[in-house]
Amino acid sequence: MNRFLPAIALVAIAAIANRAANAEPAVPSFVEETASDGMATVYSGEWEYMVGGGAAAFDCSGDGFPDLFLAGGASPAGFYRNISRQGGELRFEKQASGLELETVTGAYPLDVDSDGIMDIVLLRVGENVIMRGLGNCRFERANEMWGFDGGDAWSTALAATWEDGADFPTIAIGNYIDRHEEGFPWGSCTANWLHRANGARFAAPVSLKPSHCALSMLFTDWNRSGTPSLRVSNDREYYKGGQEQLWRIETGTEPRLYSADDGWETLRIWGMGIAGYDLNFDGYPEYFLTSMADNKLQALADPAPETSPRPAYTDAAFAKGVTAHRPYVGENVKPSTAWHAQFEDVNNDGLADLFVAKGNVAAMPDFAMEDPNNLLLQKADGSFVEAGDRAGIGSTAISRGAAIADFNLDGLLDLVVVNRWEEAQLWRNTSADNANWLQVRPIQPHGNRDAIGGWIEVKHGDAVMRREITVGGGHAGGHLGWWHFGLGGQTEAQTRIVWPDGETSAWEKLRARHFYTIQRGRTATVWQPR
Amino acid sequence: MRKLTTAIMAGVAMSAMLSTAAFAEGKVIGVSWSNFQEERWKTDEAAMKAAIEANGDKYISADAQASAAKQLSDVESLITQGVDALVILSVDKDAIGPAIDKAAAEGIPVVGYDRLIEDNRAFYLTFDNKGVGRIIAEEVTKVVPEGNFAIIKGDKGDPNAAFLLEGMMEVIGDDVNAGKIKIVGETFTDGWKPDNAQKNMEQILTANNNAVDAVLAENDGMAGGVIAALGAQGMAGTVPVGGQDGDLAALNRVARGTQTVSVWKDARQLGAAAGDIAAALADGTMMSDIDGAVKWSGGEKGVEMDAIFLAPTPITKDNLDVVIEAGHISKEQACEGAMEGVVGCK
Repeated sequence: MNRFLPAIALVAIAAIANRAANAEPAVPSFVEETASDGMATVYSGEWEYMVGGGAAAFDCSGDGFPDLFLAGGASPAGFYRNISRQGGELRFEKQASGLELETVTGAYPLDVDSDGIMDIVLLRVGENVIMRGLGNCRFERANEMWGFDGGDAWSTALAATWEDGADFPTIAIGNYIDRHEEGFPWGSCTANWLHRANGARFAAPVSLKPSHCALSMLFTDWNRSGTPSLRVSNDREYYKGGQEQLWRIETGTEPRLYSADDGWETLRIWGMGIAGYDLNFDGYPEYFLTSMADNKLQALADPAPETSPRPAYTDAAFAKGVTAHRPYVGENVKPSTAWHAQFEDVNNDGLADLFVAKGNVAAMPDFAMEDPNNLLLQKADGSFVEAGDRAGIGSTAISRGAAIADFNLDGLLDLVVVNRWEEAQLWRNTSADNANWLQVRPIQPHGNRDAIGGWIEVKHGDAVMRREITVGGGHAGGHLGWWHFGLGGQTEAQTRIVWPDGETSAWEKLRARHFYTIQRGRTATVWQPR
Repeated sequence: MRKLTTAIMAGVAMSAMLSTAAFAEGKVIGVSWSNFQEERWKTDEAAMKAAIEANGDKYISADAQASAAKQLSDVESLITQGVDALVILSVDKDAIGPAIDKAAAEGIPVVGYDRLIEDNRAFYLTFDNKGVGRIIAEEVTKVVPEGNFAIIKGDKGDPNAAFLLEGMMEVIGDDVNAGKIKIVGETFTDGWKPDNAQKNMEQILTANNNAVDAVLAENDGMAGGVIAALGAQGMAGTVPVGGQDGDLAALNRVARGTQTVSVWKDARQLGAAAGDIAAALADGTMMSDIDGAVKWSGGEKGVEMDAIFLAPTPITKDNLDVVIEAGHISKEQACEGAMEGVVGCK
């Protein structure tokens, strides 16, 4: 803000801002295609599966359409090849992939060996398994080949990054309650593990102590230092004396927790999911944290440009209308239980919207049983309005994980949700309005192919929209593939990549309604499905 | 918790004493409710409001609608409206801190109502919740002091199930160790549901050839399920069963003789006590000088606080009149099919 702006101009600006702010965002329309989509995975099982239920969306067939992996809990996980046509109905085909393990709680796609074929890490009750992609959606176990110790915990969270110069990623795994303490699980949180690279293998894991029953983790460059830190969201139901955590993970040094001395404030929630996004275009991500009852929207307390901010956050959830703390339709006396969260622009207006999956743990009497999933649309003033029911995605199934991705490559983001004890649901975004969009995929030539830790920047009007390229967060699953931006009425957009090592590409004008692959050191190339 | 018995007695005596005390009138008492749509708080509010108005003070309130973030904004708004004391039923004990800071900065006393706000600037008023499990066990062992016991616990994911068990074990633990009481079945109950409790009880009966002498259930709904399972074996009314909540169906079972005890928390006592304590604090009384206040530091952080723990009331055939006279249940509903000798049913 220019402080020398005359007062009268400020008033005029405020008036314009108010008018724009009051405009209701376009409500997208979704059609549920669960019955005809070809998928049939239920997240099943008893106590050990009260958390988890992740979805992973990634292309393993090489056709650019995101395929799907869904955790099955006590039942075998399901892999589904995407056989949709561009702009058509969503169609998936169950296919033997090698990923059909039991006791899977969640999964994150990650090209571990940077061979351009996506691998996937399966989180389990018991041993975690890295499955190496062989091409054509076939996978094989790679724990031994890559020196990955799968442990024997109740694993529920994952985040991955590439440390400076490393050949292999660093993977953080969040572990939950000691499942052998079924009679009195409170206070039995097991140690989270950090698997760092040792050449083109993993070193023996180190414990991230203290650990507080993590349910979501995210490597994120919260202060734009160039080195992502590890955010950990923890379930206060089971820890003793725990809190939300932020770990410094710096190359060649032991992990260190940010503390009160650094400005990190104690926050205790039933942390289940993390979604990060630079909502206010200031370069720093805000973080939405799912919980029971109130959810949190953390914004840096003093985001001073050109300085190193303290890790102090204020909760903007109430002011922005995203507490989403109880059902917005139906019986709403009891509070909600929130799991997966993801920011995506579902109406292509250039403002990130927020999806939240909801569902009771099982039948906890103090929490809502009929707990509809949320779709909170961002308004021009940065506040959000609920549209889950109007958009047609307000399922009251007991939801857990989810993935928002463009499954039919029509520029409109679709949705898959994994449910406890019920079949996963799929919705196609059928919005008719003509707002524009752009999808890009940055590619590095050697290590860290998908540029994890980099940023994609797209100019929209006077603002720069930024997405951090991450693996982690949400609840027990994620999407890796095309990165989507809504452009509103804009027909082209200046775009650039901040690569993970900080090198920034030149701004390039890209056309709306197109997919681009951006190879490091080259100009962007239009991609289209065959 | 050792001074608890004294605290309970003092607490009960206190509400009678306070309401006759003379305070400066015309104070404003602000009450921040966590989620007023929850049916149970209506009784508390009526009693609180009556006590506040009887003291010549004014009652104003706000409803956080189950949002901890909204509650912070509510408390700020009550402070702006000029309250002399606050009663806060917190949504989230770990998120209420800033509200207490604001109140303290303005010199406004705070009563933490029913749920702990672990901060020594707040007074803590609640029922002796851990005592509920103890009272269930006490009442049942009065009838059957030894033998084969079954324990029907609540949902595994709910820590209250563990706290209630702790209270029960305070009473029977020694006898269990001495072999006088044998636990022949102990099960969690998914979702605290009566039909799940019934299934669990059926299995316990089968496994023990019906040789079960007493049952401790962690709430009335599950006690109902247990009694249905006993009834199917012709054992209802011969095996003592304890529960809690003062459920209307459970109180009728007490009259019929199939349930031994339902532990009841009289919300009117709690509401009235809050109104009176708030009036005293608004009048400048120190928290430690509130009649019946005890020092307590049993919270997670071990903070020493001034507190009052009201005793829950065990309702048995010998005092069913208490709930009827309180208007909690009608005589017709309580006494339908009552056995001989139930106090209140004649």
